[in-house]
Amino acid sequence: MGVAKYLEGKIIFLIINISSVAFSAILLKAFNVNLNLIIFTTALNLTGGLIFYIFDYFSKSNYFKEVIKNLENLDKKYLISDITEKADFLEGRILNEIIKKATKSMNDEISQIKRNIDDYREYIELWVHEVKTPIAASKLIIENNKSEVTKSIEEEINKIDNYIEQALFYTRSNSTEKDYIIKKYKLRTIVNKVIRRNASVFIAKRIHIETENLDQEIYSDSKWLEFILNQIMINSIKYMNKEEKKLKIYAENLGENVILNIQDNGIGIAEKDIVKIFEKGYTGENGRIFSKSTGMGLYLCKKLCDNLGLGIKIASEEGVGTIVSINFSINKMLIFQ
Amino acid sequence: MERKKIFIIEDEEKIREELKNFLFRYGYEVESSIDFQNIIELALKSNSHLILLDINLPYFDGYYVCREIRRRSNIPIIVVTSRDSEIDELMSMNLGADDFITKPYNTQILLARISSILRRAYNENDSEIIEYKDLILDLSKSEVTFKGNKIELSKNENKILYILLKNKEKIVSRNYIIEELWQSDEFIDDNTLTVNVNRLRKKLEEVGAYDYLKTKRGQGYIILWE
Repeated sequence: MGVAKYLEGKIIFLIINISSVAFSAILLKAFNVNLNLIIFTTALNLTGGLIFYIFDYFSKSNYFKEVIKNLENLDKKYLISDITEKADFLEGRILNEIIKKATKSMNDEISQIKRNIDDYREYIELWVHEVKTPIAASKLIIENNKSEVTKSIEEEINKIDNYIEQALFYTRSNSTEKDYIIKKYKLRTIVNKVIRRNASVFIAKRIHIETENLDQEIYSDSKWLEFILNQIMINSIKYMNKEEKKLKIYAENLGENVILNIQDNGIGIAEKDIVKIFEKGYTGENGRIFSKSTGMGLYLCKKLCDNLGLGIKIASEEGVGTIVSINFSINKMLIFQ
Repeated sequence: MERKKIFIIEDEEKIREELKNFLFRYGYEVESSIDFQNIIELALKSNSHLILLDINLPYFDGYYVCREIRRRSNIPIIVVTSRDSEIDELMSMNLGADDFITKPYNTQILLARISSILRRAYNENDSEIIEYKDLILDLSKSEVTFKGNKIELSKNENKILYILLKNKEKIVSRNYIIEELWQSDEFIDDNTLTVNVNRLRKKLEEVGAYDYLKTKRGQGYIILWE
């Protein structure tokens, strides 16, 4: 609130003020009052007005300066009413009251929506657990009745299982509360778990697996990381087109960071698709040509990595293959902050 | 070899029955009950070697069942559940479970976990040595003996021979061997298997065990001596 702005707001009062002083001076002159007396009276009137405006300006300007400063320092701006002191002038107090009411109504609205999200999330979690029981039963029935038909059904069921897991992690990644536990793991433990999980597909498609230097220790949530690696491996499997199919999983220790690389010799990704690859729903050329893709897998990987504080990037050459790299920070201060 | 007995605590009928069939096919004796009110007593009285425990149960929560069983017995418990967060796993382990598997489980993984826990819990030293006719495999030393002649085996050869001897006189498919090796984190492919089997055969012949390991074209391998 600058002086000019303030005066601009008070322009009508100023005009009235000055004209009434001027008018009374003219009036006094008309009654032949002593000139000195007229000057004295006019000066007195003007000083009185000036003192009022100066006082008024500083009390308001100080108050609003404080409020604006607080607002700027605030991470969540809607909390402003909680940290604002009551104004000692009328307009300020009215404004306080209005902001307070608006904020309260806003907070009620937000907590209602948060409750709805949490309810929904809880429902999805419950639903996922429930639907896993019939899936587990189906898989056992298939296992006990192996044939070409049941094998084909099993492949479809595994797809369903993957889609369900995506839904579960989508909900988890949007959760308002932290939903993971960071612990120390050997990369090998988690990588091997995911390989074993996909063993039958790897074997059936004769994909050669190579692992290297995986005895690195990293900090993460094992379930989340398993999901991320599983999505990446499923992608690799999906887009393998060569006679000799290869998947190489290896780590590099760079002191402060451990990088896990998952490298395949599949069809690769076009340069124009790589930039958008982590976008939600982005399928790219491969997704359209080779097999149906929802564009959710890598989007979720990126989102979960962001939540866990991991870096993820993709490098690829069309026709040659793709490398997905995950960067684990080993800096403990960062992890336990 | 005596059959190990597994007690299944699972309220979902289909899963319970299919699991029983499945485990029976892989050489386990299986018992279960639907009397969930007395399930703790029944499980303890069944003289089983291992308990497969679901968490969502009628009457008692599976965590409670786990804690109560653990309080009274050292029997290995594998918690099988569809809840798969880290928190559930930690909770199960803290209540004394030996392992934690999430539904829908990969059956190969389930079998691998069951057998590794049984081995750990019952310290099966005797089963580390398998004999067939004059052929003796010492699994822990990775050594095969034939009529007094000894030869050392590589890790993969050792495992392949073990799988074949466990299924002696039966044809074992290549895929089955590969899958078994994968479950112990040896991610070998088709070619590697061929190479390993050929080497294994050569080593068997070196100690004089000719014609023990046979190739059944298009079907797999068999350990058989006629």
